[in-house]
Amino acid sequence: MPHFLSNKRLLMLLVGVILLVALISFTLSDRQKVSFPEQVIKDTVGLGQSFVAKPAGYVTGLINSVDDLLNTYEENKRLKSRLEEYGSLQAQVNELETENKGLQKLVDKKSDLRAYNPIQSNVIARNPDQWEEKLILDTGAKDGVKVNMAVLTSEGLVGKIVQTTPYTSEVELLSTNNTNYRVSATVSSKGKTARGLVEGFDAKRGELMLKRIDSKIKLKKGDKVTTSGLGGIFPKGVLIGEVTKVSTDDFGLTKLAYVKPAADFQMLDHVVIAKRQATQIDGSDGNSSNKDLTSQGAE
Amino acid sequence: MAKYLIPAVAVLLFFLETEFSLFSPIDFQGERAYLVPRFLILYLIFLSIYYDRKKAMWYGLVFGLLYDIFYIDIIGLYTFLYPFICFIAGSTVKYIHQHLVVTTTLSLLLVALLEIVLHQFFLLIQFTDLSFTEFLNHRLVPTMIANSIYLIMLGWTFKYLLKARVLEKANQSIL
Repeated sequence: MPHFLSNKRLLMLLVGVILLVALISFTLSDRQKVSFPEQVIKDTVGLGQSFVAKPAGYVTGLINSVDDLLNTYEENKRLKSRLEEYGSLQAQVNELETENKGLQKLVDKKSDLRAYNPIQSNVIARNPDQWEEKLILDTGAKDGVKVNMAVLTSEGLVGKIVQTTPYTSEVELLSTNNTNYRVSATVSSKGKTARGLVEGFDAKRGELMLKRIDSKIKLKKGDKVTTSGLGGIFPKGVLIGEVTKVSTDDFGLTKLAYVKPAADFQMLDHVVIAKRQATQIDGSDGNSSNKDLTSQGAE
Repeated sequence: MAKYLIPAVAVLLFFLETEFSLFSPIDFQGERAYLVPRFLILYLIFLSIYYDRKKAMWYGLVFGLLYDIFYIDIIGLYTFLYPFICFIAGSTVKYIHQHLVVTTTLSLLLVALLEIVLHQFFLLIQFTDLSFTEFLNHRLVPTMIANSIYLIMLGWTFKYLLKARVLEKANQSIL
């Protein structure tokens, strides 16, 4: 039909659709790199967002405090019962700490995978359509944030950095559906430690899945899961959660444990990015380059 | 006055969306419910119906692009969907009665359409493996309830603002 072909609007629509598909597939293929115009837009929108986030953060803080106030009685009862344990535990920890320091001096061990410099950040936005579990923070590459760094709250690990611009950074939460998202973890149970990878999130149970655990080691409910520090960038010993159920893996060779995350992924307003003091290696996993990160970039 | 208020409200809603999404997901009777704020597109649909389709589509394009770059990192998704929704909304003007109840229902239907298209897209690129029934129960229904509350509360304000702008423009053309 010549009438249709000469239609300027139809032609524009076609070109538009082609352009669109090209753009989508182009941006879908490499999402870790941010082009310069994108960076500028992200930083500008981020600046505006941080202005709006301040009063909003105040309101969420208020709601949280009211919530706390309502639970005061219950919480007080629970805490009182724990107080006695706490005293003896504190003494024990002090003793162990001094002993540990002494031993470390003895073997001349200087760097520790556990030590990290915290970078305090405010959450300025959350991906509103929530198809991906993402947060946007108000600190960026200028503050020393790098891709793959661990992000924590006072309760435990919440996610890792997936993208940075000079003044903002993007966090992918542990509760993501992304299959390339792994965190190296350890479970200590009765003096023995098992290694595994936190891989995937069971949306129905609302719990993380810890996979590839040695089937010889017996885990039980309530065992604490922490980061192992073996992934390259994460510090060691950050609490992830506790085991709620143990079963075998898909192939029956290794064990799978369901882990209830220690941190709450809702109402996050303030997080800490952990910048590890020991040498940082960009792991060989996924898109990572396996490079030494500490000696290169400007510190 | 209304001339500057229209873009100002759009910018404000764009920023507010993400603040409200910090409350989500909520656990309702043991079920996890995701509430997706769709403040901006609802406003743009009203803009398209009561004021100007073409302008609404331009707003949709700009804010869709910002949304894509800032949140989604897949450029082209909202950049296409926002103007597209505005286009449909603006095209219905000839066929519907412009009563607030009718436009509110229409806007909510269009947002439901937006949600379904997005779900299908994310299924396609394997960002999610949520089945349609799960999507319906955990996302679409709670989202629609939350957004209808929002629209019922603020829809008449939008209408008032946009009508004021139309009046303003008419007065200017007379003078």
